[in-house]
Amino acid sequence: MKPNMPLVTLLSGVGLGVGVLVVSMLSPSSTASASGYGATSPASATTTATPPPAPATASASESATLPATASATAPATASATAVATAPATAPATAPGTVPGTVPTATASAQKADVPSKADYVAQVNGGGAAVAISVHSGKAVAYVCNGHAVAAWLKGTAAAGKLDLTGKNGARLDVSYRTGKATGSIMADGTKYTFSAPLVHRVSSGHRPPGLYEATGMVDGVPVKAGWVVLPGGGQVGSVEYDPSSAVAPTAQAPVLDLTTGTAQYDGITLVASLISGFTGSGF
Amino acid sequence: MTAQPEASSPAPGDVSLGIGKLVVPSLIGGLVALTLGVYGRLHHPTGAVESIAGFTSAGYAKSWLATVATVFAIVQVISALVMYGKIPRVTAPSWIGTLHKWSGRTAFLVAVPVAVDCLYGLGFQTYSTRVLIHSLLGCAFFGAFTIKMLILPKRGLPGWTLPLAGAVVFTVLVGIWFTSAFWFFSTFGLHR
Repeated sequence: MKPNMPLVTLLSGVGLGVGVLVVSMLSPSSTASASGYGATSPASATTTATPPPAPATASASESATLPATASATAPATASATAVATAPATAPATAPGTVPGTVPTATASAQKADVPSKADYVAQVNGGGAAVAISVHSGKAVAYVCNGHAVAAWLKGTAAAGKLDLTGKNGARLDVSYRTGKATGSIMADGTKYTFSAPLVHRVSSGHRPPGLYEATGMVDGVPVKAGWVVLPGGGQVGSVEYDPSSAVAPTAQAPVLDLTTGTAQYDGITLVASLISGFTGSGF
Repeated sequence: MTAQPEASSPAPGDVSLGIGKLVVPSLIGGLVALTLGVYGRLHHPTGAVESIAGFTSAGYAKSWLATVATVFAIVQVISALVMYGKIPRVTAPSWIGTLHKWSGRTAFLVAVPVAVDCLYGLGFQTYSTRVLIHSLLGCAFFGAFTIKMLILPKRGLPGWTLPLAGAVVFTVLVGIWFTSAFWFFSTFGLHR
């Protein structure tokens, strides 16, 4: 009896499918997060100690005079009369006090090394995704995407070289920024992306500068939100979220952002991208 | 009914028996499609399958593989038409059966990795008409293909079953291609 070739074909397909699936499951996102958590972020050690919430009244006096070399004193002491000992190198304290209660105090950190307005972009360690961070006078936005199913926007405050941002689905980050670069990690969609992102230097050559771009539109009656990280070399990584307000927004690859027009064609509509820049304040 | 083609039916009178042979393959095929759909819906899509090599290469790789599968599927239709003598003034060469089998196997095997990547990395999605149709057809394809493979060795089936199954498989595949690779190429260009 001759072998049942159609069945052999079917089973070959099943075998191939299982093989590809196993390879996919073994190889994937762990590469992006494989690098050590604390290794790239000098501040990570301090963040493990979560600060007690400081009294809201403490904020006004401790502005502007953060000494650059202040040692990391306990946040509790900083709260009362802390002009001299405000913990510039204990970044966790500043974000801890901020949400809603500290308007101008930590916003204008005049620590020489910490810019109040800056943009950073980079590929994450190991490649496979890109990150953009914009800081503007105490507020900050971060975006990470892999040009595919991962896209996470995080928003919040920035102070004393430390970001306190949150996003949907447990997205969080541990990032410190300085004049030259922002380093740390972002946790999004179950993957930890570590990076060291240099400051963006604006070079206008008729093209849109590197940085973070956002566009929204409607496709088939569904709102879509696209985000691109345009890298200094001209490369770009972008993802599109469908129904971005939903809990788990389906996410796909973004179309190419035309850097001369600032637009992208997607599913029959034109997305007009706007630059989110901490440096110029656009998008904030 | 007297001039039955000799190939198919040893018992020409009993058509119901022939159709009865379709039940089990159809159930299995339906189960395959349903399983894929349920898996794609329940499994949390990772998107990670392609995050290693680069940002966009996977989309192109998948689109081109899907295109290759579709081209082989077109070979399928043409070779089937030749085998059934449906193309005027063309007599079936001796190798046409081999061509049909191997083009089919190739198309199927090329499509499998694409489907795995879709189901594992993206899942069954419904966020636009195109995506919904693509998800439905993608699952249906492997169900339909399973049915065709299972009924292929059976004898005594009505003569229309294989052409119908083949036509369904082909139509579904072309629909998949139009809602994925064609859309992808027209959105992103043929290469980057």
